[in-house]
Amino acid sequence: MKKLIISTALLAGVMSYAGGFRVSLQGVKQLAMAHTSAHAEDASVAFFNPAGMSFIPARLSIAAGGFAAGNKVTFQNMNTLQSTETDNPIGTPIYAAVAYKPIDKLSIGFSFSTPFGSTIQYPNDWEGKELVQKLELKSFYFQPMISVKMADWVSFGASYIYAKGKVDWDKAVTQFGGQVNINDEKASGHGYGFGFYFRPDPKLDVSVAYRSPVDMKAKNGTATFRFPSQSIYPLLGLDQSGQDRFTATLPLVEEYTIGLTYKVTPKWLVSADFNYHGWERYSKLTLDFDKAPVGNQADPTVLVAPKNFRNSKTFRLGTQYAFTDMIYGRLGAYYDESPYTDDHFIPETPSFNTYVVTGGVGFKVKQFGIDVSGGYAMPQARDVKNSTIGLYGQAKATAFYAGLGLSYNPF
Amino acid sequence: MKKIIISTIAVSALLFTTSCENDFDTDVKDVAVTSGDASFKTYVALGNSLTSGYRDGALYSDGQNESYPSMIAAQMKLAGGGDFKQPLMPNNIGGFTGLPGFGGKLTLQLVNGSLTPVPSAAGAALDNVSSGRPYQNMGVPGAKSYHLVAPGYGSLAGLATGTANPYFVRFASSSTTSVLADAMAQTPTFFSLWIGNNDVLFYAINGGTNSQTTGGVTTYTAATVQTGTGTSPALYKSNDISDPNVVAGSIKAVLDGLKSVGTTKGVIANVPYVTSIPYFTTVPYNPLTPAVLGSNITALNTGLYGPLKQALTAFGAGGRINLLSSTSANPVLIKDNSLQDLSAQLTAALTPSLGLATATAFGQIYGQARQATAEDYLLLTTSSVIGTTAPGAPAAINVYGISYPLQNQHVLTKTEAGYVKTATDAYNASIRTMADTYGLAFVDSNAKMVELNGKSGITYDGVKYTAKFVSGGAFSLDGIHLTGRGYAIIANEFIKSINSKYRSTLPQVDPNKYSGVKFP
Repeated sequence: MKKLIISTALLAGVMSYAGGFRVSLQGVKQLAMAHTSAHAEDASVAFFNPAGMSFIPARLSIAAGGFAAGNKVTFQNMNTLQSTETDNPIGTPIYAAVAYKPIDKLSIGFSFSTPFGSTIQYPNDWEGKELVQKLELKSFYFQPMISVKMADWVSFGASYIYAKGKVDWDKAVTQFGGQVNINDEKASGHGYGFGFYFRPDPKLDVSVAYRSPVDMKAKNGTATFRFPSQSIYPLLGLDQSGQDRFTATLPLVEEYTIGLTYKVTPKWLVSADFNYHGWERYSKLTLDFDKAPVGNQADPTVLVAPKNFRNSKTFRLGTQYAFTDMIYGRLGAYYDESPYTDDHFIPETPSFNTYVVTGGVGFKVKQFGIDVSGGYAMPQARDVKNSTIGLYGQAKATAFYAGLGLSYNPF
Repeated sequence: MKKIIISTIAVSALLFTTSCENDFDTDVKDVAVTSGDASFKTYVALGNSLTSGYRDGALYSDGQNESYPSMIAAQMKLAGGGDFKQPLMPNNIGGFTGLPGFGGKLTLQLVNGSLTPVPSAAGAALDNVSSGRPYQNMGVPGAKSYHLVAPGYGSLAGLATGTANPYFVRFASSSTTSVLADAMAQTPTFFSLWIGNNDVLFYAINGGTNSQTTGGVTTYTAATVQTGTGTSPALYKSNDISDPNVVAGSIKAVLDGLKSVGTTKGVIANVPYVTSIPYFTTVPYNPLTPAVLGSNITALNTGLYGPLKQALTAFGAGGRINLLSSTSANPVLIKDNSLQDLSAQLTAALTPSLGLATATAFGQIYGQARQATAEDYLLLTTSSVIGTTAPGAPAAINVYGISYPLQNQHVLTKTEAGYVKTATDAYNASIRTMADTYGLAFVDSNAKMVELNGKSGITYDGVKYTAKFVSGGAFSLDGIHLTGRGYAIIANEFIKSINSKYRSTLPQVDPNKYSGVKFP
């Protein structure tokens, strides 16, 4: 119990207060149990907490998986009685991880994941076309990591994050009867993560982890304007093809996680997680154009769009039952808080307070593991009252997830 | 421990099933549009150019199809409203060939690399569409309040004498009828009335002057601020400010006339301050930057501004003119006919140094001259006057705004703007009172225009509209009338007001779906 208190104290400093475009799909087995973190059975723990590698019951472990994630958002305007549905493509978040112990006390590993991203596609002529017609955000995290087992019951791990990203954003420029595409396929950023993993008792795992924010910098983006007539391109500082350069920074925010898994019986375990997401960092999005005076600041080439996200929390609860040594059944449920209030709803990254139920089964054959899982999300319908962008109405959504994961613990 | 876990799971499951609200309370597809206490079967719109759909300095068919009454009527149709017919112009250019002052629309073009509204020739001769009557949009461009009740306002013969209006001539039922009489003949179930704007606007956009052109020479005289009932509106000159009692009386006559045929339900809008429209806010009072004046600053100060200030100071009017600054933007020189005329004094003072003839010219030119201030409004059209040569002025002092004062017709001075505001406030007080007396829905279009003219403008689904000329998106190229999007913003104010008064549920329109300024 003393040990538990120590680990809780580590988080005390941050307990003052996911949604957004954070996609919590980095472990198939974990998703089946509400995407909880304290599961050190194979290398898939690496993304959740580098320290977890020290407790993997194998010297070498490899894990990989992928998901299909679908969602649909409906927006309706009570003033004009217009109604809009998105036509989003199926998202395919993937992950892969490897963990290896060259000596007993030390683990090294590598994790690849896609923790942030979203693609939203509205009809081109929908009422909010000035804000977004299509937005595709993608991120790829590459994380080399290391973990040290400080005692039988505790380990410390840390990772370096190199992130690559892509933004592809179409929106209308209503005043000119045209459209602009904001594109950068080469955004990048850096960050780090660290965590403690505790096993104070054979029945109890506790994972405490922090992942830093990553500021994705688009340094050489292209803004392509398409207007009905090209004669005004020179007036806007655009070249013959209507193009200008831009720079921007998109924050991928920090995340604090505390998770625990308790083996109620040798066959039955329950897990719980608490995540705290630092969305406050996304207070605004600044696009700094090279020449085009399409901004709204003293410097006419700088466009600042207020976002006003707030920090958010996620509560997760999952369970696993071992029917045999080879077959496992899993269930979970979580509540994910939207990172903004109704006053700050933005259609390019629509977000809702969401309840999600999850489930899955896992099979173990010798060193191999195969897991399938699914999730059904129940986003809560909400009012939209964003006076800054003049968007008023109501929004609702539906979403589902399905995943297939593999793990291999050869020795 | 086991029990705690089990009960936690049970409680969570309960929370899940009770707090889930993942669907809309009301789907818009299920919303019924109703007319409430009103009937929109025959909706007739009365008013002036704003009601007709006039924009870009002309009435043309595309503009008419985006008039605010036609937008409202389309929504009314969802609640049992009837057809809404407009007296469409025969072309998309507008104007009437052969009628001076009725040119075609302005279009935005690139002239020497900058965007400029360019006028066009009228599209066709005055036509007559009276056979297509009745028209529900009875907005007549140029109509003042008292014109709506004036018999013969649609008389072709009256055009020559200035008692008729070609836009009404097109669709009037007879040469003796009035706009009101033709509206009453339709026994509308609902009406809108937005009138009174021109009763002050003409004064303002002409800088407080009336003009007369004889033999190709136009002369300007100060227009009158009409007050008291002594003068019949029939004797008003075209750019005089109408007496508030005349405006109120005319509106009352319209409301009484409609009431007499059983039309008691409608909506009435007030008059926006003219100074919140781009025609008055685009050209700054101080466009003479050091860069513009260049090396002329010293010469102007020593040769003109200095001596003038010295002479004026001697007569206690030194504040009229300050020396030109070489570091900050300078105001233009204007003539303000509310100032005491110091021409005789100036002539006398300057005769010893300049000689009688030159001194007399100086006296006449600068006797009521002063530099403009932020409280004066330079007209949009004055931008093409500043820096040009004043005809007939002595060569050394003939540059408009710099060495020669802009004339009365170029500027709405602070004093004149005050007359406009006083009259507008009086009109609006009466309109507000009558809206209550007659139990009508009321639209505070003035407040909406002031909001539009504010720094943050009006943002609709991410598109920001302001009263800025061309780039603001709400005002058309004439700087006075709105674009389709601007009219939609107004239509929504009417709809909101109708819904709240008559408990109807007309949906608003989406301004972004209409047309704005067309770029070349």
